[in-house]
Amino acid sequence: MPNNTTVMPGMEAAAPDNRLGGRARLVGRIWSLSLLALLSFLVIYPVGMLLLGAATSRNPVVDGVSWDDVSSSHFITVLTNPNVLLALSNSLIACSGGTALAVAIGLFFAWIVVRTNTPCKALIAGAGMLPLFVPPLVAGVAWSLLGSPKTGLLNTLFAAMGLSWRIDLYSMTGIISVFGMYYAPYVYMFTASALRNMDPSLEEAAEISGASALRTMFTVTFPLILPAIISSALLSFIVMLGIYGIPAVLGSSANISVLTTYIFALTVWTPPLYNTAAAVAVILMVVTGFLVWLQGKVISGRSFTTVAGKAFRPRALNLGPWRFLTLGLAILYLFVVVVLPTITLCIAAFRKFLFIRNLPALFDTKQYSLGHFEKLFANTATIDSIINTMEVGIITALVGGLLSFAIGYTITRSRAPGRKMIDLIVTIPVAIPGLVIGVAYLWAWIGTPFGLYGTLWILALAFVARFLPDTVKALSTSLLQIHKELEEAAWISGRGMLSTITSIVLPLARPGVVAAMTLLFVLAIRELGSSLFLYTSGTIVMAVQLLNFYEGGNTGLTAAFSLVQMVLLGVLISFTTWLSRGGSSASVGRSG
Amino acid sequence: MSAELRIEGLDKAFIPGARPAVKDVSFTVGAGEIVVLLGPSGCGKTTTLRCVAGLEHPTAGVIRIGETIVSAPKQGILVPPRSRNIGMVFQSYAVWPHMTVRQNVAYPLKTRKLSGAEADRKVAGALELVGLEDYAHRSVTTLSGGQMQRVALARAVVYEPQLLLLDEPLSNLDAMLRLRLRDDLRKIVKAAGLTALYVTHDQTEAVVLGDRIGVMRDGNMLQMATPQEIYNRPADLFVAGFTGASNVLDGTLSSRDGAYGLVRTNSGDVLRTWIAPTLTVGAAVKLALRPENLRLDAPEGAENRFLATVRQRRYLGTETAYDLAVFGGDIEVREFGTEVRHAVGQAVAISIPQDACWAYAAAAS
Ligand SMILES: Nc1ncnc2c1ncn2[C@@H]1O[C@H](COP(=O)(O)OP(=O)(O)O)[C@@H](O)[C@H]1O
Ligand SMILES: [Mg+2]
Repeated sequence: MPNNTTVMPGMEAAAPDNRLGGRARLVGRIWSLSLLALLSFLVIYPVGMLLLGAATSRNPVVDGVSWDDVSSSHFITVLTNPNVLLALSNSLIACSGGTALAVAIGLFFAWIVVRTNTPCKALIAGAGMLPLFVPPLVAGVAWSLLGSPKTGLLNTLFAAMGLSWRIDLYSMTGIISVFGMYYAPYVYMFTASALRNMDPSLEEAAEISGASALRTMFTVTFPLILPAIISSALLSFIVMLGIYGIPAVLGSSANISVLTTYIFALTVWTPPLYNTAAAVAVILMVVTGFLVWLQGKVISGRSFTTVAGKAFRPRALNLGPWRFLTLGLAILYLFVVVVLPTITLCIAAFRKFLFIRNLPALFDTKQYSLGHFEKLFANTATIDSIINTMEVGIITALVGGLLSFAIGYTITRSRAPGRKMIDLIVTIPVAIPGLVIGVAYLWAWIGTPFGLYGTLWILALAFVARFLPDTVKALSTSLLQIHKELEEAAWISGRGMLSTITSIVLPLARPGVVAAMTLLFVLAIRELGSSLFLYTSGTIVMAVQLLNFYEGGNTGLTAAFSLVQMVLLGVLISFTTWLSRGGSSASVGRSG
Repeated sequence: MSAELRIEGLDKAFIPGARPAVKDVSFTVGAGEIVVLLGPSGCGKTTTLRCVAGLEHPTAGVIRIGETIVSAPKQGILVPPRSRNIGMVFQSYAVWPHMTVRQNVAYPLKTRKLSGAEADRKVAGALELVGLEDYAHRSVTTLSGGQMQRVALARAVVYEPQLLLLDEPLSNLDAMLRLRLRDDLRKIVKAAGLTALYVTHDQTEAVVLGDRIGVMRDGNMLQMATPQEIYNRPADLFVAGFTGASNVLDGTLSSRDGAYGLVRTNSGDVLRTWIAPTLTVGAAVKLALRPENLRLDAPEGAENRFLATVRQRRYLGTETAYDLAVFGGDIEVREFGTEVRHAVGQAVAISIPQDACWAYAAAAS
């Protein structure tokens, strides 16, 4: 067979031409080096600058960045600061409480859906996922409208009904409740699939052995799904730890600061305490990193759920009339988490004044108008923020999608040198909450003359870095589904490396690439944590603008803009889900 | 200890109104007896077994274990599995991966509030019975499939249940292991003196293991008898075919005297055969013949002697299969031994003993 076609060996020595082996290796090395350089620019350099910032006391804006003053004492001073410790302990309390609640709710739902004959199970399972798509800030806003101690709608309602109950969500209990309600779906997802993949004979064997239903549950069922429970609990904890919106809205008036809100407060101090912020961000990163490591250990440890793909006949417990109780509880959860906040946002958005004297006033149509929406869209800052968000979204999707494809291909398909290293660097951002990425990018670019700070690109690049693990993983999965032999067939028929990628791999992986890009777009436009530190007046984005409305105290505008964002996200997420047939829901959640 | 199992008129429909998975099945397993339910996949064996275990709730019928009625829907009786005092070995082993071998086996004793020296003695005894004494403290996830199956068996017999149920316990093992464990299994169950109900779709397994075999099809029990009777006097064409009578000839019953009679095949040959009890003279029949039961090189005057021509030959090592042209078609014959005796095209005289040739109603299946 003639083998004299101009082979473009690209990045690997596996191309079927030995004579070009030397050149192929060189090209492979150059390719790997460029990817590593790009990743250093996106991930390593900002994180390095963050660590530097935590170890110095020089203001990067005024004094510039330098190594002169590096000392661990700065970091230790911050670490022992009572305010920092208070924020840390508040964070741990809020996340522990939230996680406990999420585990209780999620586990209960998993049991209802997988193991009982509760009616409408499929509907419960589907609708139960909705909370994951609500941006935390929007959830926070809705619940502050519902549960603020004086003007909260629920309190108004209780008063109107002559009840003496009052709730106050501007409290630690409030933060824990909202955390628990909104992140229960993670626990549900993991534990439901563990239950589903468990051989029902394992439980039947216990019953035959003489164990009661309860004993079976505690000696067989729970121990077997424990790894799934622990790892989903850790995941919820990690996500809650990095969330800004909910504690910012519910914690501020009660003066409860958690790590995320404390970091932001430090950077808007006058003068901004960038060094302290960096140090606290490092603390947050270390805690998150530890939890991610722990979760990895749990997952890689003994997994008892048996071979995937084996279909078990579901074992549904006949609850008899009790099944309507479980159905009722499920409906109650969905009502509280999905319907109630949505109705509240609608009322606040369409009502001229939120103040509701009594129940009839709530239904007085004269009180409703499109006024807030008119005002919202008359505001040039709103329009600017929408345009900016779309631009950032598109840049993130394109840059992130292509980079992830290149990295995914290199990791899964090529034998390029250094691909283990590339794989490792790509996973680093998993342990970095969005807010910390924001602070890291702030440190990386605020003091340098090279003009990235103040542009939309800094936002987009921060998002690309933040979501790199998710998109690379998604693309690697879809690349692994393309059989290696399809590529080899193209090489055998005389195609070069690059030509094979463009004519075989890319067309086959296209659904995956498009889905990854759409997912990136969605993630980028709802991201608040990292944007907080990187926007300037010219580059404000929707999530930040919403926070501004909220902090400006304009409830109507806040609610109206929340609704606009929810509708926008709803449309985009349906589109993404349709593109990737359901695979993206988990990733949308991880960002919090 | 071991108790008799009595099933009367068992019905089970998963979806009300739809075709039931088990229809009017009745049989008895004597104390200390091993009965095997045999049939193709989907015929309702597992469902029958799970009804006995209490894991499925029968639609109708009475199930008795010993003197106790454990299930009688008409009377509203349904004893839960944990109170039936039975042991069960599942197809998927179902050993608990989060426990050691010992913990798995000791679990049923713990739920029976049995501990200390007595429990240790029983666990040790059960592990010895299955040959796993040395593995007591191993995690079950480190065991091979055959060892896991033994753990499952030890767990099922450790509390000396009244009745042992086994659902295709060997089907997930590789062929060699299956043969070994098959023989062991009968020894172990007999050594423990247990009453056992065993489900399989593998006929040789059924023959080796069962004191009696029940052949099922589409939820019905077609025949329950000893292995010899199932193989030598199948109750109908399906049982004959399922246990390996692969030659079927069409014909008409021309006369009968008692259990035997004359059948004229469509090719005009007349054979003296065993006749199913319900057949009357003149009925269209189907004749079933096992390939192993035809004799080659039959001497003059042998019963049912015919001349045939060898059409094809397949050498199988320990036996040789011939396709013979006779009775207006091809029939398969097998001859044991490593030697090949007949060449293609050669004429050969065959003989069929009247007890190895069975006539059934043609309309039946
Ligand atoms: N839980 C169930 N729900 C609905 N149909 C079932 C269920 N279990 C068994 N069946 C049906 O009952 C019939 C008998 O099944 P089974 O007893 O498992 O057969 P086998 O003889 O292979 O063990 C099959 O048609 C099967 O599809
Ligand atoms: Mg079966």
